[in-house]
This record gives sequence, structure tokens and C-alpha cells, in this order.
Amino acid sequence: MTETPDVVLEVKELVKRYGEITAVDGVSFSVRAREIFGILGPNGAGKTTTLECIETLRPVDAGTILLGGLNVRAQAQEVKRIIGVQLQSSSFFDKLSLAELLLLFGEMYGRSVDPLALLDEVELRDKSRSQVVQLSGGQKQRFSIAAALVNDPVVIFLDEPTTGLDPQARRHLWGVIKRIRSEGKTIVITTHYMDEAEELCDRVAVMDAGRIIALAPPQEMIDALVARGFRKERVERLASLEDVFLSLTGHTIRDE
Amino acid sequence: MKNFVSYLRDPMRIKWMLTLASLKMFFRQREAILWTVLFPLLVVVLFGFVRFNGMGRISLGVVNEGGAAGADLLTRIKNVRTFEVSEGTRESEMSELRKGERDLVLVIPAGYVPAAATEMTAFGDLEAKPQVTQLGGLVLQRVFDESAFAGAPGLRRTTLSTIPFKSRNLTYMDFLLPGVLSMSIMQAGIFGVAFGFVSLKKRGILRRLWVTPIRPSDFIIAQVAMRLLVILFQMTIMVGVGVLFLNLHFIGNLALIYLLGMLGAVVFLGFGFSLAGISKSEDQVAPLANIITLPMLALSGIFFSRSNLPGFVGAMTSVLPLTYLADGLRSVAIDGATLAQVTPQILGLGLWGVVSCALAVRLFQWE
Repeated sequence: MTETPDVVLEVKELVKRYGEITAVDGVSFSVRAREIFGILGPNGAGKTTTLECIETLRPVDAGTILLGGLNVRAQAQEVKRIIGVQLQSSSFFDKLSLAELLLLFGEMYGRSVDPLALLDEVELRDKSRSQVVQLSGGQKQRFSIAAALVNDPVVIFLDEPTTGLDPQARRHLWGVIKRIRSEGKTIVITTHYMDEAEELCDRVAVMDAGRIIALAPPQEMIDALVARGFRKERVERLASLEDVFLSLTGHTIRDE
Repeated sequence: MKNFVSYLRDPMRIKWMLTLASLKMFFRQREAILWTVLFPLLVVVLFGFVRFNGMGRISLGVVNEGGAAGADLLTRIKNVRTFEVSEGTRESEMSELRKGERDLVLVIPAGYVPAAATEMTAFGDLEAKPQVTQLGGLVLQRVFDESAFAGAPGLRRTTLSTIPFKSRNLTYMDFLLPGVLSMSIMQAGIFGVAFGFVSLKKRGILRRLWVTPIRPSDFIIAQVAMRLLVILFQMTIMVGVGVLFLNLHFIGNLALIYLLGMLGAVVFLGFGFSLAGISKSEDQVAPLANIITLPMLALSGIFFSRSNLPGFVGAMTSVLPLTYLADGLRSVAIDGATLAQVTPQILGLGLWGVVSCALAVRLFQWE
């Protein structure tokens, strides 16, 4: 094994084809312990497919993926035990309360979990008896993260967790994600919101057409661009429209 | 491998937990209870009601002008199962008779005394309903005689003792309820599974499960177990309600009823999973499920006896899975058939079970 002890996930020359289309075309990157690693890119860039290959949901055509010392292609079943996954459009069983769902998901890993502690983690304790259908968009995403934590995973994958949320709910979710990282988890997140990547990620990989075209900490990428002589047309803008929106409507989340 | 040990230690636990969770989900859906229990019972009651009036019993209107003694006679008449008794005034009952709602109207005159020679009148349409009218008259005469003896124990008269002939007085209900039970097993198996699974697939719930270490087989086993338990529950309720409230003449072996029901359930679950496999959305499931179930509903002798079907249709429909199930349940429930006597049905269902499960394995897809 070539990975250094600090590296939790190593993807090498990953290739995934759907018929004629090569969705992921030789992607390599590694994720260090306790970092938030972002995968950015426009829709159709291959972000989700890359995640799904790592998450054992899709057979890989070529390349290797090492996760926590396990080979994803050969040891899928064991990899599943150490990852936590929030799928882009996952939903949960109807008619079970959040607490019951978390207990059931715990059972799938042979664990007896404390649902309230998990719900505390995502600030949903008071919803423990509610069903998923009764939650708002932001609450659903937070619950989805709680469900990804039931097995105390080594790496958590979040696929566009803030898509469709209002600015308040997005910021709230960022807070939750940062706290989970501060508790020692490694997080891989995809997004197409640049502000989100800038706010959350220690390092980002920019994907386009199935390839990684840049990989660095956000600030380094910005500095490099500026060093190449790039200048925004309108500079010295002290606030954005989003800042206006938030100052008008406040930071309080509205979905409770 | 170490991570695996905890899973292998108790491989049954997760299957049971999933079954339990699915049962919870099932019983928390109000529609589910409606469809599995209330709807079949409603069908039984509705169909039963329609047919009860049509055949078997004599609709008798009674006009009691005889006070307390008349009321006593009326009670005796009501105890005769042949009669479906309505009470009313002379005017209203005669009008019902004219409309054909009554087969016979009996007038108990004022001053009626059981043991005395009272003139009793009954009206009926002898021309249109000769048998019913005459039979009703005979039965009434017998009730009068009994009533007279009860009033004067000393009176002796040659009594006709009838030797009971083998007749269990089976009603349409006895035919109908096992049929509807078979129907609801089929619906639960095919519609329940097909719709349920397609929705789990479409909404991405299954994908979320596959990133956990549970095996697809755990989930399938739990689903099948849940459906079988629900069908057991459904069978118990229907047979119970039938015996307690609908006068079902149940003389069969309950274990054999359950065995047939479970075999039938497996057959239809297999078809349900097959449909879930080839359908991408609920819109695709519905027509396919109807194509399978509707002809069987019509041709498997659920509501009406297959003996009315023309010869070749009768022969063809005798091998339908629903026919095997309905015939089997019916002969066990009301004829008390033994395991040996329903062996053809068991074999038939077993064969269909092999076919449907093989089909399910071939066609079932997760995504």
C-alpha cells in the first residue's frame, strides 16, 4: 500500500463508462484524515458518479480506490461498514419516526445507536417522533446526515447536500458539517455552489467532463488566478445580494 | 474480516428487525388496513346481501293484528331460517307483496289463540311463484302446529318426524367468503409487493439501503415475511368475522387453510416481485397487475361457480392459480376436506409457486 497514514481515501485512475459515454475518465485524488474535501463541477461533470463508485454503488471499469486501507472493488461489503453516505436524492421509509429510522439503520450495521444523540448532532432532537415527510428541505438533509452517522463512519460522503435550500438553511447545514468535522470525521462533499466550497472545504477538486482539471485549497486557486493577472470587472464590492438578503431576513433558519 | 464477525454473529437479527419495521410501516398506513381487511369484508357483505335476497330464503311479510299471542307466534316464525321476516301493517305489507318484495304475507287476525281453530290467511302469488308459496305455506302450517302444542301440552296428535337429510343449509356466503379470501391474498401478493417495491425503487430508498452492509436477500426475506404475516392476519380476521357474524359454516382444519393460504401467497408474491422487476414506475405496474388479476377474478370462481362456464373455458380456468387457491380453501373450509383431498390444489399451487418464483428471480432488478 502506497498511502501515507494520513490519507484516508485514495482514488487512482478511476474510470467509469456508461456504454459509449465515459462519465469518469481517469480521476485521481486522495483525501486526508479530518479534512473537508470538495468536488466541484457543473452538472454532468462526473461528481456523483465518482462518489457512487467510491460508495460501492457502481461497478468500476478501471482504476483503484483505497478507503481506510480497504480496496473498494474487492472488499465492498467491508467498505460499506466504515462509510457514511448521504445520497443526492435519497429518501427514507414512510411511517417510521426519525428515531425509529435511526435505530433501524443502526441495526443494519449491527449497532444499537442512541437516536437522540444522533439527532442532537444535527439539531433535530425535537423532531425525533416526526416522520421524514413532515420535515422541511433543510431538516431532511440534516436527518440524512444523521443517518449517515449511525455507524460512526471513517469517511462521510455528502452529495450536493444544500441544493434547493434557502440561504438560511444552507448556512445552518454548513455549521452542522463543520461541527461534524471538528469531531474528527473526514468529509467528502460535492457541490456546484462556489461560496459553499470556499466556506467549507480545505481542498477542492474541480471536475469537468469526467476529469479533474484542478486540485488545491480554495484560497490557493484564487491566488493563482489573481497571480495570472485575472481581475474581476467589478471589484471592491463590499456586499453581495445574498448579504443583503440575509441582513434583511436574518440568519435564523425558517424550517423549524 | 473482523468487521464481518459482528454481522455473522446474529444474521437472523437484521432480517427480523427489517420485518418488524416493515410490519410497523404497513399497519401505520390507514389505507393498508382498509384494503386488506375492510375492503374484502365489504365485498363479502355486499355480494352476500345481494344474493341472499335473490335465493334460498323466503321473504315473508307478517301483519300482526293478534296482540301478544300473535307476537309469540311471530317469534316462532322468525326462528325458522327459511324465512326472512318483515313486519308491517296490512296495507304496507300487501303493497310490498304487489311489488314483488315479499313472497308471502301472513295476517295474524285479532283474537288469535294458538290452540283454537283460528282462521289464518296468507297471501302469495301462486301463479308466479308456485313452489315458494306452497313451501312457505307448508312451513307456516308446521309452525302453527308447534305453537298449538306448546299452548296445550296435553293435546296429542300424530306428529310427522322428518329424518334429517344431509343438508348443511349452505348459503352463498359459504361459497363467497373463501373466494374473496383467495382474491385478497392475490391482491395483497401482487399489488402490495409490486406497488410497494416500485415506489421504494423510484424514490431511491433502496439505493440508500445498498450503501449499508445489509444484503439484498435480507431485505427480500423481510419483505416476504412481512407480507406472509399480513396475509395470515388477514385470513384470521376474515375467517373469524365470517364465522362470528356472517354465519359461515366453517368445518375445516384451520392449519390446512393457512397452509393453502401461504402457498397461494408465495405464488402471488412471486408474480408481484416479477412485476416490480420489470416496472419502472407505478404507472407501469397498474396495467400489468390488472392484466394478470382481472381475468382470474372473473374466471376463477370467486363470485360465481365455474360450473356455468362453457366446457373448454372451464377446463382452461381450472389450472389458474387463483382457481386452485379458491377451490382448495372452499373445500377445506366448508366441506372439511383433508390434506389428501386437497392434494391436487396443493400440487397446483406448488407448481405455480415454482414458476412465479423462477420468474421473479429472472426479472427482479434493483434499479
